[in-house]
Amino acid sequence: MAEVRLEKLVKSYGKIGVVHGIDLTIAHNEFVVLVGPSGCGKSTTLRMIAGLEDITGGTISIGDRVVNDLPPRARNISMVFQNYALYPHMTVKENLGFSLKIAKQDAATIEARVAEAAEILGLTPLLERTPGELSGGQRQRVAMGRSIVRHPDVFLFDEPLSNLDAKLRGQMRVEIKKLHQKVKTTIVYVTHDQVEAMTLADRIVIMKDGHIEQVGTPAEVFEKPKNTFVASFIGSPPMNLLDATVADEAGRKVAKLADGVTLALPAAAAEKVRDGQAITVGFRAEAFSPVGYGLFGDSEVATIERTIILPEPLGTETLLYTELGGKEVQGKMLNPRVVKPGEQLSFNLDLSRLHVFDKASGMSVLV
Amino acid sequence: MERSWQRWLIRFGIFIVMAIICIPGLWIVMTAFRDNVEVMARPPVWIPERWTLDNFRAILGLSETQQGIPVIRYFLNSLVISVTSTVLAVLIGMMGGYAFARYRFKGKNVAFLWLMLSRTVPGISLSLPVFIIWSRLGLIDTSIGVILVYLALNIPFTIWLIDGFFRQIPLSLSEAAQVDGCTRWQAFWKIEFPLAKSGIASAGIFAFLTSWNEFALASQLTRTTASKTLPVGLMDFTAQFTVDWTGMCAMAVIIIVPALILTFIVQKHLIAGLTFGGVKG
Amino acid sequence: MRFFRSRLSPPILLLMPAFVIITLVVAVPLLFSLYTSFTGYRLVQPASLWQWVGLRNYQRLLTDVDFWWAFGRTLVFLTVALNLELVLGLGIALLIDKLTAGQRIIRTIMMFPMMFSPILVGFQFKYIFNDNVGLVNNAIQSLGWENVTIPWLVNPVTANLAILMAEVWMSTPIFAILLLAGLMAMPRDPVEAAKVDGCNPWQVFRHITLPYLMPFVYIAMAIRSLDVARAYDTVKIMTNGGPAGRTELLWTLIARTGYQDARMGMANAMSYASILLSVYFTVYFFRKLAAARRTMGGVE
Repeated sequence: MAEVRLEKLVKSYGKIGVVHGIDLTIAHNEFVVLVGPSGCGKSTTLRMIAGLEDITGGTISIGDRVVNDLPPRARNISMVFQNYALYPHMTVKENLGFSLKIAKQDAATIEARVAEAAEILGLTPLLERTPGELSGGQRQRVAMGRSIVRHPDVFLFDEPLSNLDAKLRGQMRVEIKKLHQKVKTTIVYVTHDQVEAMTLADRIVIMKDGHIEQVGTPAEVFEKPKNTFVASFIGSPPMNLLDATVADEAGRKVAKLADGVTLALPAAAAEKVRDGQAITVGFRAEAFSPVGYGLFGDSEVATIERTIILPEPLGTETLLYTELGGKEVQGKMLNPRVVKPGEQLSFNLDLSRLHVFDKASGMSVLV
Repeated sequence: MERSWQRWLIRFGIFIVMAIICIPGLWIVMTAFRDNVEVMARPPVWIPERWTLDNFRAILGLSETQQGIPVIRYFLNSLVISVTSTVLAVLIGMMGGYAFARYRFKGKNVAFLWLMLSRTVPGISLSLPVFIIWSRLGLIDTSIGVILVYLALNIPFTIWLIDGFFRQIPLSLSEAAQVDGCTRWQAFWKIEFPLAKSGIASAGIFAFLTSWNEFALASQLTRTTASKTLPVGLMDFTAQFTVDWTGMCAMAVIIIVPALILTFIVQKHLIAGLTFGGVKG
Repeated sequence: MRFFRSRLSPPILLLMPAFVIITLVVAVPLLFSLYTSFTGYRLVQPASLWQWVGLRNYQRLLTDVDFWWAFGRTLVFLTVALNLELVLGLGIALLIDKLTAGQRIIRTIMMFPMMFSPILVGFQFKYIFNDNVGLVNNAIQSLGWENVTIPWLVNPVTANLAILMAEVWMSTPIFAILLLAGLMAMPRDPVEAAKVDGCNPWQVFRHITLPYLMPFVYIAMAIRSLDVARAYDTVKIMTNGGPAGRTELLWTLIARTGYQDARMGMANAMSYASILLSVYFTVYFFRKLAAARRTMGGVE
């Protein structure tokens, strides 16, 4: 069993704090992705788990051992680095077998395990090459192979796909997912790309400025963001966020936008706000479509007339840039027709999919 | 784009530069294999009529006609002093270079600056106090005395070069090795050292040449055949009333040849090391 | 991470041997020489080591005409030599950069003067400029002026020029090689962008290439400044400061005062002037290098 537990984990360089006391438990065989903008402390956290950075405060345990003072080699982990960190003076085979050789395994075991890993990752024809002779994707696979030969308790990935081009990144994402299904292990994966986080993770940990903002399954963080940061970080295009004030309109709580437009608040949120409260309302582009071009079921909608600033056709859908509450917002047109800038369109805004945040704290009023 | 006359102009310019670089050396080499009579001849003889090894025989003490200068002794002294100080400088330089390349610590820049400043002290200025102290310690005219001084001379630059070579190796390689089960010590010997090997070798050769060529300090700290090196030995010739040109040239060739061979071996790494260490800081 | 179970941190331990050696062989002797510069120490009279004279050596230096001539000559010599080496080195680097084939072999040949012992370079030029058997006079005579014998190293002006030439011959290649490395590492995009923007070749050089090369210029200068005093070897063998002290540099003067005249106290006072000069050059160029590195934002 290899559960990874971080308790009140702190890292600082001198007076500069990087990680401010985070708590996180990663279950056995779980795939957890740490995601956040650069400088949020996600890589530092990963490197502390690996033992490559000293821990300033708190504890890290792997399984039932506290590993704070153990060197990397004693933690039974493996790591895939951003630049792959393949040993340039060794062949692929030697790279794969290196950790076993250091552990003084006998030649037959090494041979077998290397062959097994190479088989899983399709590296068998490349075993005699050196890293210099491999393409980016192949290097990436060797780096993963080097991790799996050891049968470690925990896999650590530090932005492994950021050096690949977009197409290859998509392919490798699938391979990593498949790999996790084949070799069941605990995985901690760091990325700044929310798409990677959404597609790969069992659970996502969103970090900012050394704090955890939210932990949840991809669906949870997408549908129930705890605060405006998570709301704007997860999802593409980012959620539209508009400043508003709570008002009373015919006995219902509504959000009054800067340009006077009012939006009825969903019942759950309405209970948690008071009149005159400054709030931020958020909705995703999918919840804001021209009449007849969206998916609304029988939810309550607000219909608003808007002028298109710019259409951005994406094939199966078109992103529409328009203006609401004094800010530019994006809507989505499914099954699209050609739209011209300046065109007037009636939009439906799905009120049941409205997110309401307290403006001062940025927290969702539902929390 | 480029016209052919421009190309020829460039080639001509380079030809002139190469000629200026090569001719002085070639002239010496030629003289080393010529007859003294021919060298002194008026009008000058440009193309040697007879090649001879007499000059070498003479300075090596193999001919009866002339008192030989103990060149073989000097050569051995030079070799022992240069090799010893180089090996030690490389070891110490590896430690220091690794510290500068891989660790952050307080006063790092100051430490580096002091190291470099210690190298700028003119040899002759350093020789005065060292001469006095060494004579009290009985280190004058011993190989050990010279080796110690050359070690101090070579350490700063060796550290600079080796620091540059280590920094070219991504830190993540050592980290990967540690994750793969190595101690930091193992990670160094199995990963970082093999990758920096050729760079370290060229830093070593550079240190060797510095020792091999040094004159200002050696000329004061050595006295007799017990420790005199080749560059100091070269001055033996001018001590006499007339300068023995052919003998000196032969000796010059003996000094140059190892330097040329070693230079040829290291030139590629050396340039890389110098520019990398400097620019990346 | 704590692989040395010791109270001292790893970098301190790793640097220890280097600093011990430098302290013993450089720092301690220099402190000692600082002390002797305040005494009237003469090599032949050991007791004079304890004869404290305060600032007398320095006071005498200030009024010593020979010293000031040597000091001034050294300054001029270094300034002229370094600038000449830089300009020539840059020219050579640009030439080689334009060359389409054979760059490698030419670069290798350029390394050779760097690796020559300075004493050998001195000897080489002493031989070339010798009035009887020298290459230069031989050439002049072969070209028809059979009775012309120019005493290059005896005439003060030509002697200084000959020394300068030896120095430039020995040190220009390091500038050429490092600047060439800079040129070859230079990205093509800015040059092409400048051409598209309408720069002529001179403007491209002036506004794109030269600023890019500055860090490399300062590296070369910094490396070179570590070792300016090796001119001592060259002068020592070529003229030994003569004729009549007209090629005396600070370093040869120190050697003469300390070893020939045995006035160690005085020589040490002079050495401090020479050390400060060297340190000044080194610090100056290392500063410039650091500044250039900052403005270039880390040249690849």
